[in-house]
Amino acid sequence: MSLLNNVIDHSLDDGYAEAAARRGVTGRSHLPTTLRAKLGLAFGLVLAALVVTVGAAQAQRAAPTVEKERQELIDRVEGGTADADDLQGEVDGLRESVAAMQRKALERHGGDKGELTALLSGSTPVQGPGIKLVIDDAKGSGGDGGGPREGSGFADTGRLRDRDLQRVVNGLWESGAEAVAVNGQRLTALSAIRAAGDAILVDNKPLAPPYTLLAIGDGQRLSTTFQDSADGQYLHVIQENYGIRTSIAAQDEVKLPAAPSVNVRTARPVEEEKGSTE
Amino acid sequence: MIAVLGLIVGVVAGLVLQPVVPTAVEPYLPIAVVAALDAVFGGLRSMLDGIFDDKVFVVSFLSNVVVAALIVFLGDKLGVGAQLSTGVVVVLGIRIFSNAAAIRRHIFRA
Repeated sequence: MSLLNNVIDHSLDDGYAEAAARRGVTGRSHLPTTLRAKLGLAFGLVLAALVVTVGAAQAQRAAPTVEKERQELIDRVEGGTADADDLQGEVDGLRESVAAMQRKALERHGGDKGELTALLSGSTPVQGPGIKLVIDDAKGSGGDGGGPREGSGFADTGRLRDRDLQRVVNGLWESGAEAVAVNGQRLTALSAIRAAGDAILVDNKPLAPPYTLLAIGDGQRLSTTFQDSADGQYLHVIQENYGIRTSIAAQDEVKLPAAPSVNVRTARPVEEEKGSTE
Repeated sequence: MIAVLGLIVGVVAGLVLQPVVPTAVEPYLPIAVVAALDAVFGGLRSMLDGIFDDKVFVVSFLSNVVVAALIVFLGDKLGVGAQLSTGVVVVLGIRIFSNAAAIRRHIFRA
């Protein structure tokens, strides 16, 4: 407090009082009288006014520059986003046409197997009867940044882990599902379900709970078979023990999207003419 | 009269000449402005107190600006420039406030 008091008490430069004491003036001389003193005051005021004006001018000059730079950055960001959107649209269109060509080629060479291959590989949207399985983390476990269930420290046991989702998906396939999608991500023969940090990734895209699994199959029967299977039992157990919330319902009509890209870069079919014996 | 003339000359010079502030000095300009305002308010108050002295005014103005800039310069070199600028602004701000209050008491007697 003494520091603040000091600053407040000595707000006027002590030099003034000392100079006044030296001159012996107790006074009422409001303005300097001698020419020298007047010039001194004028010089000081010139300097003060100059500094303040230059400061103001500098701020005035800098403001539009800063604003301009900001606007340029915004423009560049927006331009880049628009370009990326255009390119994404182009990619989507090309992918669509490639898929159409693939289907056509498959039809030509494989007869009605082409459609089947496309369905099984996930390169075409599918619809049909099926089930909708919704799995959510236990109440009060979401969003608090804790580790996954059975993770290091066992801090947060109410979260669905990647291996749980893997088991559930495996159970669905095993129970006769013909196509499966997780949160709108169609699973293909190349799909991977794994974890990174706290998030479950399907094909490297992070998912946020609740996890909605759509599976196409014989609606009610698929549901029953799944719930009776080992993996269905497992889901039941984690529901009982850890409070994972699940709900399963048969649906008359389920629509699954196509997988975003089905690329096979290195694998190719064995050429039968060469008579491979392996 | 000469004093008012000086004030006007300063403002006009700043506006007309538009001196380009070197980039190296630019960070100290805001501090210099605050120091200049402090000196002007101090001068005004001393005038009302009847103890104005032109030499003290000019010297205190120059030394305020230089010392404030020096503190910030030193802070910049030590990596605490922003904090020291804040400190200078706080101290000079308190001084400006209390001087302004003293001037107010002189003028309005309240």
